[in-house]
Amino acid sequence: MNSYFMVIAVLLPILGGVLIPLIPFKSRAWMAVYMEVIVLAASVLVFLLILNRPEQSFVLFRFTGKLSVSFHLDGLGSVFAGLVAFLWPLAVLYSVEYMKHEGHERYFFMFYIVTYGVTLGIAMAQDILTLYFFYEMLTMVTLPLIMHTLTREAILASRTYLYYSLGGAAFAFIGMIFVLSYGTTANFIPGGVLDMERIGEKSGLLLLVYVLCFCGFSVKAAMFPFCAWLPKAGVAPTPVTALLHAVAVVKAGAFATMRITYFSFGTELLHGTWAQEFLMALVIFTIVYGCSRALKETHIKRRLAWSTVSNLSYILFGVVLMTPLGLEGALSHMICHAFMKICAFFCAGAIIYKTGKNYIFELNGFGRKMPKVFIAFTVSGLALMGVPGLCGFIGKWNLAEAAVASEEPLAWIGVPALLISAILTAIYMLSVSVRAFFPGRNFDYQTISNVKDPNWLMTLPLAVFVIVMLVLGLHSQPLLGIFEAVASAVG
Amino acid sequence: MNTWILLPIFLPIAVGIGLLFSSFRMHLKMTGEGAAPAAENTNLIHGIAGAVLGISAAAALVCAWTGEKSVILFYLMKDVPIYFHIDKTGSLFVTVMSLVWLAVCIYAFVYMKHEGEEARFFGFYLVVYGVLVALDFSGNLVTLYFFYELMTLSSMPLVLHNGSREAIMAALKYLFYSMCGAYLGLFAIFFLYRYCDTLAFTAGGSLNQALIQGNEGIVRIAVLAMVVGFGAKAGMFPLHAWLPAAHPVAPTPASAALSGIIVKCGVLAIIRGVYYVVGAEFVRGTWVQTVWMTISLLTVFMGSMLAYREPVLKKRLAYSTVSQVSYILFGLSVLSPTGMAGALLHTVFHAFIKAALFMTAGIFLFRKGKSRVDDYVGIGKEMPVTLWCYTFASLALVGIPPTSGFISKWYLAQGALQGDIGVFRYVGPAVLLVSALLTAGYLLPVTMKGFLPGKDRSVHTGKETIDRMTVMLVIMALAAVVLGIFPNPLVGYTSEIAASLM
Repeated sequence: MNSYFMVIAVLLPILGGVLIPLIPFKSRAWMAVYMEVIVLAASVLVFLLILNRPEQSFVLFRFTGKLSVSFHLDGLGSVFAGLVAFLWPLAVLYSVEYMKHEGHERYFFMFYIVTYGVTLGIAMAQDILTLYFFYEMLTMVTLPLIMHTLTREAILASRTYLYYSLGGAAFAFIGMIFVLSYGTTANFIPGGVLDMERIGEKSGLLLLVYVLCFCGFSVKAAMFPFCAWLPKAGVAPTPVTALLHAVAVVKAGAFATMRITYFSFGTELLHGTWAQEFLMALVIFTIVYGCSRALKETHIKRRLAWSTVSNLSYILFGVVLMTPLGLEGALSHMICHAFMKICAFFCAGAIIYKTGKNYIFELNGFGRKMPKVFIAFTVSGLALMGVPGLCGFIGKWNLAEAAVASEEPLAWIGVPALLISAILTAIYMLSVSVRAFFPGRNFDYQTISNVKDPNWLMTLPLAVFVIVMLVLGLHSQPLLGIFEAVASAVG
Repeated sequence: MNTWILLPIFLPIAVGIGLLFSSFRMHLKMTGEGAAPAAENTNLIHGIAGAVLGISAAAALVCAWTGEKSVILFYLMKDVPIYFHIDKTGSLFVTVMSLVWLAVCIYAFVYMKHEGEEARFFGFYLVVYGVLVALDFSGNLVTLYFFYELMTLSSMPLVLHNGSREAIMAALKYLFYSMCGAYLGLFAIFFLYRYCDTLAFTAGGSLNQALIQGNEGIVRIAVLAMVVGFGAKAGMFPLHAWLPAAHPVAPTPASAALSGIIVKCGVLAIIRGVYYVVGAEFVRGTWVQTVWMTISLLTVFMGSMLAYREPVLKKRLAYSTVSQVSYILFGLSVLSPTGMAGALLHTVFHAFIKAALFMTAGIFLFRKGKSRVDDYVGIGKEMPVTLWCYTFASLALVGIPPTSGFISKWYLAQGALQGDIGVFRYVGPAVLLVSALLTAGYLLPVTMKGFLPGKDRSVHTGKETIDRMTVMLVIMALAAVVLGIFPNPLVGYTSEIAASLM
């Protein structure tokens, strides 16, 4: 396909989103149709692009010399772009129902859909500057979504988010400068772009820069000690928490770390150094830390947010293994986790939307009254635990295999960390399901007689996610083949 | 013919899910309109459950005893198929499992009248049966793990059946301990996948000698993790605590099934992992074997002691299971053919014996509504048949000849004495002996006080009700005794398995 279709895919949601407050829609339904059409069109375009990847890159504008904003779709980018393109239309469907009572809908949806374009920009960025550009933009357009309710809590949360993200971006910026001055090109090339001759004796400095840059990008991926913003951001409306804080934004962070590790700095320089070990130790700690915090949390969305912290570090763990297998594991967990977590969040959102209950101890007996939601929640919980047959097992298996194959003691310690996290996941997810389905012998269902399943706008996405989790869990080979092809290029 | 393997797996699972669905629908109606709960059509449920279980069990037995078969269901990942293969070990386990499962099912038709929600119970009961058949027939470690997890998840609702807070907490405990164990097993699977040529079960194991050079340490750790992890299901220290919590609160048929069969799946998983994937040679003489023997003997002794002190009969039997299953694990840890044969024999015998003992406890509970041992003084006058069955099963568990327990313990002790295991050659049999004494001490007083309550106690003397529960109990108790009188075919069969592995 011609390469300017990439720009269309990025700009369509951005422009379409910006227009939402301006168009005088006759009714809410028309706005919903308009949004769904824009998002679906962009998604169809993305999938067409993935199927016939344009060979050329497209330069949107050029500053000087190496510096430009340009797009190119490679294997890694396709995986991320395909993921968001699959999820966004479903999330919009869900949001249309969810946002009914939240107010300021038009502004919400404007930013919600603009974010889609920005995320695609990250996925299709050809060079580190473009990535940085869209990365900063992502912070800006998602900020209003977090403070949507304008409560004090929301404003504080968005402020935290802003500080963390800008601080992280500043560190990432340092990394960008070094890649620009020590690399042969700013583009992402499998295997890295650093010019070893120019580095000479300064490899120690570059390792430090790499660590700073990795930490900078991993702020969005909520690695410890930069994870505090994510649970706080749970005050945002659920469509935001579900899509942005479990998939798009946080995975943009993980995606950026993959880019700089495998495509800019290159694993040759990094593999086996203190930088790798330092980051791996942080990541392994985060895996366990996130789960332990999730266990303590009784607010359902915050619990899921802590769970996300842990699961994102699974992905980062795959990244810092710095082997092709590690990247393959990271990618498979990135995709699998997206479906599991968005499903869990949508269930939490459905509960909040229908009943206004936010805390887990209030959910006694809900399983019988909201069977569809709680079956989906249970399936996503089982998947998160890594029960074989569901997609979580695939991600975990690939990560653990990569860790074992790397034959490094620290990576081996990562394997029990994954499993400790799995058992903690079992506790914090299934205790909710058991409470909902088995409230106890003398539970009076009359007290929750108004609790009901939501309508199809909400349950259809849930059904799709459950099916995807099963299909990915039982038949992952086609997808894994793609990841293998992507990963083998960098090795 | 090969695809027939799938019938006993998927038929009960499908029908079970159907029953669960109907039970769920009924609940929706009930909670939706606030109407009184409609009575379940128990005859229909029993008919379906019995027929499906009968057909499945027959199919499973036919599959098991008509030669080796294998079928690849699908590929979970590139070189990781879900693969069923029937071999001698699988046939043995599936036969015992099917027989006990059927007997307990018929027992439950009567017993579950007290507990209610029969559609849900028999739904899960059928699902678990299908999963267990799959587990017994699984042909590689990932398939085994797959169904191991499913077994935990589908058997958990059997534990929390009565819905009391205690039962729910016990079920969660069961779930989390099992998960913890399963993840320890998974830890080993991750490493074995890399260091073995294949995860498919091959007698003698398939460790890749070239790859493993220099990495023995981590693989040994992995093997120990697997033993401890799968040992959780078998109630081995240190992950045994779920067992005494889960058994007493579960409805008695569920406890019988758990104690007789499901704990044995931990044993099967260890056999498969150690003897069929890693290979006994790799473990023999290492610190892994020492640790394994130590914790299994510790569990044998600890379980017996705790059972001895326990006043509630079902809980006492649960502790007894902890102790007895570790006999089996000790037999496996010795890594000698005789010990292995003893372990397999004890697996079979203990299944029948423990099913019989739990059935007795259930009948007492069903008719008297009391659960403590002290309440059963003089019960022999009331229910002589039941108590006689209990007595024979107890004698078998203690290991008095000519009952079955004697045979298996003989082989276990022989295995230990012949094995090249240092000081454990003497410690092992000594612990087994002490534990046998304790077993007598915690089981036989029920018989003695039951038949001989003392003169100053007025006892109720009526005619004992003989129903299907009693019949099943008699069958189980008979099996426990008769297998000891005619042990030769079984001994030959298990010795053959053991010889093929070492």
